[in-house]
Amino acid sequence: MIGVGVMSVTYMQARTGPTKSESATMRLVASGAQDPMSGLDDNARFRSIVMPYIDEAYRLAHWLTGNRTDAEDVVQDASLRAFRAIREFAGGNARAWLLSIVRNTAYSWLRKNRPTTVLTVEDIEAVELANAKPGDPTGETPEAALIAKVDAGQLRAAIAALPTPFRETLVLRDIEGLDYREIAEATDVPIGTVMSRLARARRRLIATLKEDR
Amino acid sequence: MTRPTSDDSSVLLVHAYLDGELDPANALGITQQMDTVPALAAEAERIKALQQLIRERLPREETPPGLRARIETSVGGLRRERPRPSWRALAASIALTAMVTGTSTWFIAGSQQPTMVADSLVSDHIRALMAPEPVDVVSSDRHTVKPWFNGRIPNSPRVVDLARENFPLIGGRVDVLGQTPVSTLVYRHAKHLISLTAVPAEGGFKLDRSPRSINGYNVVHWVENGVSYWAISDLEAKELEDFARLFRTSQTEL
Repeated sequence: MIGVGVMSVTYMQARTGPTKSESATMRLVASGAQDPMSGLDDNARFRSIVMPYIDEAYRLAHWLTGNRTDAEDVVQDASLRAFRAIREFAGGNARAWLLSIVRNTAYSWLRKNRPTTVLTVEDIEAVELANAKPGDPTGETPEAALIAKVDAGQLRAAIAALPTPFRETLVLRDIEGLDYREIAEATDVPIGTVMSRLARARRRLIATLKEDR
Repeated sequence: MTRPTSDDSSVLLVHAYLDGELDPANALGITQQMDTVPALAAEAERIKALQQLIRERLPREETPPGLRARIETSVGGLRRERPRPSWRALAASIALTAMVTGTSTWFIAGSQQPTMVADSLVSDHIRALMAPEPVDVVSSDRHTVKPWFNGRIPNSPRVVDLARENFPLIGGRVDVLGQTPVSTLVYRHAKHLISLTAVPAEGGFKLDRSPRSINGYNVVHWVENGVSYWAISDLEAKELEDFARLFRTSQTEL
């Protein structure tokens, strides 16, 4: 795993904070600003924080549970949890916040309904380490061309076959377009872990797709 | 040749580079490594092929019709079970009134006064030029820049590739107009940077009232599909207008 020291120079700080946003003009009005939604009731907050991201929530739930009915149940349940916690959302990234609730709800659901499919991350990473094959000689074969021939069904099946922690990381990055910081927030791990899981997820996926050819 | 393991930090940096997560110094470092280490270049090619495959061939699961309505119903039901004391509603309405009359005045007024919007965006542009980097996401790939805005602002902007017209994309950042975060794309032309900000055009801006230049920075403004665009640069006015025309007429959409 990548060291924290590397991350600190590597990872850019998003400059969306007040130091960036202040200017002489804006400071006139910024003095009274805290949470712009503080005056809204819970339902209005829910509509502006949660409802815009229902599609993303549903897709993540679908990738985690593997079917529509369960995904719907998970999203409904997660929405209620989000509503009850809506006052705890203190601004920041609404999408990552909601997706973390969806993920936790889906994990509870999986543990209850499919206890055999939930492997802990430690299990997987131990197996990975034991099976690590650093010497793959196919560095320069036209793999990119091979990958380009995969069809949607194969791709979907290969993603679905990834272990859950890798699958969720890959889905959030390569399908939903979250950045590393958001994924770290949604999956409750450090950014270094996001990076190593993403690299492993992509490599596994590529290896599976090549076997399929 | 052996392939580096996935724990190799260079490999992780290749992934991070393609995901638009590196600052320019680290991005430069890893691209130089990719030029000299074939295994890293091959890794980059595989990742790009995989990302393209997912983007182009994987259909997105549709949200079932009725799910939103069911969620709104169940949440609305919760609220009725727990009515709030009336003083809280009163307090909330006072707070809301205070917010509207206090903090939002500038932006509401601003939406009728393009000069103030332009002033604020020119300040953002100047501040960005003086900051270590003029952008928060560094990438010339619109497939990286556009998704970066998701989750930061409600509507991610239209991003077009104008590299062939000599206006390469540098990246993007979030600026704040009054209380509203807005997307700014940064393009380059020769040694000049252009900040292009997209503002949801609620107030109905008028082109003719927008200043042509502020403090030596040229401003080009237009409204399209309910979005108010502001291009700001120290480029010659004519070149900035060329840029605006190219952006408007470009068909390259994500």
